[in-house]
Amino acid sequence: MFHALVAIKQVPDTTNIRIDPDTGNLVREGVPAIMNPYDAHALAAAVEWKRKLNGRVTVISMGPPSFTTTLREAIELGADRAILLSDRKFAGADTLATSYVLAEVIRAVHSDDPVDLIFFGKQAIDGDTAQVGPGVAVRLDFPIVTYAVNVRAIDLNEATIVVERKTERWTEVVETPLPALVTCEKEIAAIPFAPLPDLIKSLRYDPEIWTLAGPVEFAADEIGVRGSPTIVYQMGTPPLPEAGEKINTREAGVSATLDLVFKKAEDAGVLDAMLGGAQ
Amino acid sequence: MNSERIEFDAVVVGAGLAGAAAAMVMARGGLNVALVERGQKPGGKNYFGGAIYTHAIAELVPDFMDRRPPFERPVTEAGFWFLARDGLTRMTVQGGELNADPADAYITLRANFDAWWAQQAQEAGALLIPKTTVVDFLRKQTGEVVGVVTDRPQGEIHAPVVIICEGVNNLLAQKLGLIDHDLEPATLALAFKQVISLPMETINARFGLQDEHHGLAASVLGDVSLGLPGMGFVYTNKGSISIGLGMMLDQLAEYRLRPYDILQRYLDHPAIAPLVQGGQLLEYGGHLIPEGGYHAMPKLYTDGAMIAGDAAAMVNALHWEGTNMAIIAGKLAAETALEAHSRGDFTARVMSRYEDRLGEGFILKDLKQYRGFSRFLETHPQFMDVYPNFLNDSLGQFFSAYGKPKKELFNGMLGALTNRRSLIRAAGDIVSMARSVMGW
Ligand SMILES: Cc1cc2nc3c(=O)[nH]c(=O)nc-3n(C[C@H](O)[C@H](O)[C@H](O)COP(=O)(O)OP(=O)(O)OC[C@H]3O[C@@H](n4cnc5c(N)ncnc54)[C@H](O)[C@@H]3O)c2cc1C
Repeated sequence: MFHALVAIKQVPDTTNIRIDPDTGNLVREGVPAIMNPYDAHALAAAVEWKRKLNGRVTVISMGPPSFTTTLREAIELGADRAILLSDRKFAGADTLATSYVLAEVIRAVHSDDPVDLIFFGKQAIDGDTAQVGPGVAVRLDFPIVTYAVNVRAIDLNEATIVVERKTERWTEVVETPLPALVTCEKEIAAIPFAPLPDLIKSLRYDPEIWTLAGPVEFAADEIGVRGSPTIVYQMGTPPLPEAGEKINTREAGVSATLDLVFKKAEDAGVLDAMLGGAQ
Repeated sequence: MNSERIEFDAVVVGAGLAGAAAAMVMARGGLNVALVERGQKPGGKNYFGGAIYTHAIAELVPDFMDRRPPFERPVTEAGFWFLARDGLTRMTVQGGELNADPADAYITLRANFDAWWAQQAQEAGALLIPKTTVVDFLRKQTGEVVGVVTDRPQGEIHAPVVIICEGVNNLLAQKLGLIDHDLEPATLALAFKQVISLPMETINARFGLQDEHHGLAASVLGDVSLGLPGMGFVYTNKGSISIGLGMMLDQLAEYRLRPYDILQRYLDHPAIAPLVQGGQLLEYGGHLIPEGGYHAMPKLYTDGAMIAGDAAAMVNALHWEGTNMAIIAGKLAAETALEAHSRGDFTARVMSRYEDRLGEGFILKDLKQYRGFSRFLETHPQFMDVYPNFLNDSLGQFFSAYGKPKKELFNGMLGALTNRRSLIRAAGDIVSMARSVMGW
């Protein structure tokens, strides 16, 4: 039976977020918490395949107890089981420590109940690093397909999947053996309006909380602040780009305008790149 | 796909004040209750002035003060403000009864209060089902209601009794035939308000409030509604002011008035502007109030269903009382549902006990008594125009030293009124006002 695992993160709704102009820090107060949108789409894809293949979906997340809200929402959207890694000692983790913890958890789940396919969002909208999914794949030694826009086929007998991934120029179609890990764009699947039985199930569901006490063992120097070599040097708001120069083509004429644009590109040393991109 | 049948002992539609009250009482009575709310959270879309009355809360949650209700301030000063064209006469009362602890009424914001109120129902064991809209009923061939249909896939909920607490926009009551027509603009007020944030100390200073444990609730008559029937309000929250007004919907339409223009005019009034000056707009919104009173009420029950709160037009417009009626009606409907369960009979015969219960308490009595009020202001526009101005002018003169004989002054004041309205007619106005309030 098909078993998908989805890693999700709860994030502040960054469409509502402000930066404190004095400190440069995010003002998180009063900002609603949501499921990271890319993860929500990844979950939707996992659930679509669960329904097609009559399988099941496990979701995992690492974060404070308040993350249970988002894990319940995952049950509402069709997940069958939710595990939250929550312990004060996990706090302050960067992408290295986070991928370590998640990989260890997935290993544990996998050894009890083998996982065929792992879904991640392509990145979290609060950190935008896009590193955790790949980090987990490397630690587990699973093949990875990033920026997936469509899971075309899953063949459990042959243990392969065919995935479409988006690059800047074109779409690549990749076939890879299972178990594998994909990180997903929003196009991977639409978020459904959950059936009432799933919603009711989620309202009564309590996610499993895993801590340092068990059931998985972690190396103390690989978790939390100790396991996180990243140091944030400074945070701030980038200056707004200056308004560009405006040319009225009707007055200047189209060819004169084009000459001007090419000349400016040449002066700036970007003409080749510009022409190359247009090919 | 799995097609499990969803069954409960009772369904409540709408987690507003009436709905959560009904769910709380039924859950405490041992029923398995689904409380279905279309919003993301209870209260998310709800709007009122306003102040919540403690008598109703205490009837359901006697120890409510220990459960940290999200109140802004107690109402320690209440009354009328008469707004003249260029001035303001305040007639408010403080102290005495209003100093009771807990207070008779607390100012609050619905997004916070409704969440807390629904929490009480959940703690009693009701299952709150958010983000789900009830769109229809499950009915037997013979017509009895036996559940609801929601907008979700596989969205049917079976239950032998449904309590409809859907608020003013009573689409479901219409669907069920409890009322035979759509909403009528002539029975609806449209209320709109702003929540304006100000530092707590500034609010205390501007409104003469001792500290954040003192609050003002004022109804504002006069130069708020352009001489049309309508009433303004001002409530002091902890760190913000709720200020707005309500006017009849049919008249807004007839005179093509835009709510935000009228509200802006009110906020720009020379006596109001300094109160909100420098504040930051936090929220702006509008909501309907069913002011048709007794005559506009739907049938209150049918086989397997009852209706409570705004959905049943249970509002006393003059006193801004709606929350307490909704809560108590929800409770009485729930008690009737419990009775139906214990008898195993959900027909209209048992449901009619709901109306009996309503008749015994204040709700139907008050609604009957005030049945004339919604039209009263319409036939007596002088309450929005002549009287507030007269009050302001004459009090202003009374307290001025003109260096003239006082007799001349008093004659002048009387003249100021009789120019506007004869004494006999003024006396008549007072009698008919009393009539509509006393229900004579
Ligand atoms: C501006 C204003 C000021 C007011 N001031 C005061 C005041 O100071 N004091 C006072 O006592 N009263 C006041 N009122 C009146 C009071 O707010 C209402 O009488 C009271 O809210 C009615 O409660 P209710 O539970 O009947 O309806 P509501 O509070 O409107 O609740 C209805 C609920 O049902 C939900 N719902 C609706 N349809 C569906 C559906 N089909 N499926 C699922 N859910 C649904 C809605 O989302 C909502 O949560 C004021 C009203 C207004 C508009």
